[in-house]
Amino acid sequence: MKEKLKQISDYEWVLPKEGKMNVDGLIIGNKAIIAGLQDDTIGQIANVAQMPGVISPVCALSDAHFGYGLPMGSVAAFDAEEGIISAGLCGFDINCGINSIRTNLTVEEVVPRMNELIEALFAAVPCGVGSKGKLRLTDEELDEVMVKGCKWAVDNGYGVAEDLESMEENGCMEGADSSKVSDLAKKRGKPQLGTLGAGNHFLEIQKVTDIYDEEFATKLGVTKKDQVLIMLHCGSRGFGHQVASDYLKIQEKAVEKYGIKLADRQLACAPVNSEEGQDYFKAMKCAVNYSFTNRLVMTQWIRETFEKVFGKTWQEMDMHTVYGLCHNVVKLEEYVIEGKKKKVYVHRKGATRAFPGIPALIAGSMGTASFICKGSELAMEKTFGSSCHGAGRSMSRNAAIAKFRGDAIKTELAAKGIVAKSTSPKVLAEEAPLAYKDVSDVIESVDSSGISPKVVRVEPIGVLKG
Amino acid sequence: MEKYKFLDEIKSDVMFEAYGSNLKELFANAAEAMFTIICKIDKVKGTEVKEFEVKGENLRETFWNWLSELIAEVDIEERFFSKFEIIEVDETHVKAKLYGSSTKPELGETVVKSLTNHRFEVKKTDEGYKAVVSLDI
Repeated sequence: MKEKLKQISDYEWVLPKEGKMNVDGLIIGNKAIIAGLQDDTIGQIANVAQMPGVISPVCALSDAHFGYGLPMGSVAAFDAEEGIISAGLCGFDINCGINSIRTNLTVEEVVPRMNELIEALFAAVPCGVGSKGKLRLTDEELDEVMVKGCKWAVDNGYGVAEDLESMEENGCMEGADSSKVSDLAKKRGKPQLGTLGAGNHFLEIQKVTDIYDEEFATKLGVTKKDQVLIMLHCGSRGFGHQVASDYLKIQEKAVEKYGIKLADRQLACAPVNSEEGQDYFKAMKCAVNYSFTNRLVMTQWIRETFEKVFGKTWQEMDMHTVYGLCHNVVKLEEYVIEGKKKKVYVHRKGATRAFPGIPALIAGSMGTASFICKGSELAMEKTFGSSCHGAGRSMSRNAAIAKFRGDAIKTELAAKGIVAKSTSPKVLAEEAPLAYKDVSDVIESVDSSGISPKVVRVEPIGVLKG
Repeated sequence: MEKYKFLDEIKSDVMFEAYGSNLKELFANAAEAMFTIICKIDKVKGTEVKEFEVKGENLRETFWNWLSELIAEVDIEERFFSKFEIIEVDETHVKAKLYGSSTKPELGETVVKSLTNHRFEVKKTDEGYKAVVSLDI
């Protein structure tokens, strides 16, 4: 399929509409990204381009790789009157996303105390499969979290109002309806608020290595090399997974009911204004809000841990939220399409919102660099205001576990000055840096193309994984 | 007959085939395969027993619901399971006893987010039954 791609600029490749495709596909990537792109990923873009009400183009960002229906690292938008909305095109971990938190501490202050800090964070933030959450929400509290999101968190002493100003949707998507969430999802969600999860989720202590855009970085409170930042990557936990699974089943039946023709069963969906479509949107918002709240609760525990270790208040250490955002979400947004303003349902699956003047956070894999970028008008024009979210895996979990030893990975990271702690050595093996693609081509593509220029580069100095 | 075999088809997730000479074996073996991903199954003591029942409109749906609801059960009960004694099973119903114990981080392996439809199937073979399962981890 790669032979069908037409290069239209240094970083843009079009998959022209043909056959049953309603629209073109667009792939953002440098030559290395395109060289590494698999045919099945391109095939999936072509499949999504056949869906009803799809708006041109279906975009694969520079980290796109084979997913379920829509590739991970992709964006697909659908007409708000005649299109569809799909649980599968959002992803199972609804609002898997990142919060970045700054400090005014430097590497010189933090590194000597890293072992103590990592141990304290490990005790404070439940992580890993089998860890039990510290908060046991009542039914009423969970209802409030679903509908009020981070407003509930602040009301209950987790975070401050100012945090919400630095979050996508101010930490709460309006219009969430808890009655559209199953009892099974609620049962899973009640004991899990304030837990990190496992796999590629992490808590990283980072040092700033490069500032590319001083003016923008200063607005974010990032002002110097070796400044210490924190990045938290996790999602909506079992609650969100269940919402996604529930609606996948409902929407599979909707495909039959509404006679929707699909190239791939995994593109199950429902017409935007159908009950199955709007119920999913309202339930998805509950999961989005749960995830925003999850990250803010853990942010507060991280602050309290720093207070214990460094003997200063978190405000004295300027531990404010740089930004918090989603990587898996469906949003109703407005774009100019063929000269007219149009509302569309944008499905971001492993993709970061990249609106002008707003940070876009892109995480590297364990032991590698992450980036704070900024959105752009070009992203609004080309990719429905979206950028990539991080590098995908180059090696399966089983292959990584067979090839790498967790204790050796820990030693290698330590040799690079990174203190890593996980619930078991196998986690480090599974998440070994070499099990992931190189993020530098992913970032170069979105930076040099102008989609989401780099602002700050960070490297880990401490890593916590479940 | 082997109980299950992991495939290396998808880099980002996990896939396996499960086998059984009858539905009881298939359901039990598939659950065991899935739980080797979720926890250190050999170290999970099966001291706590729970009866568990799942229904579906056909075999495909019943098998899907069996594995999906087991994933949910880990979070709800905060328990890992190591043994699956199938009491009754047919195309629309499975009743089982689940043997497990309370979750602990040192026993955990990977979060399984969901089953996916990628190559998902349950079918009869000459030897009995085979299922193909992909898990989003």
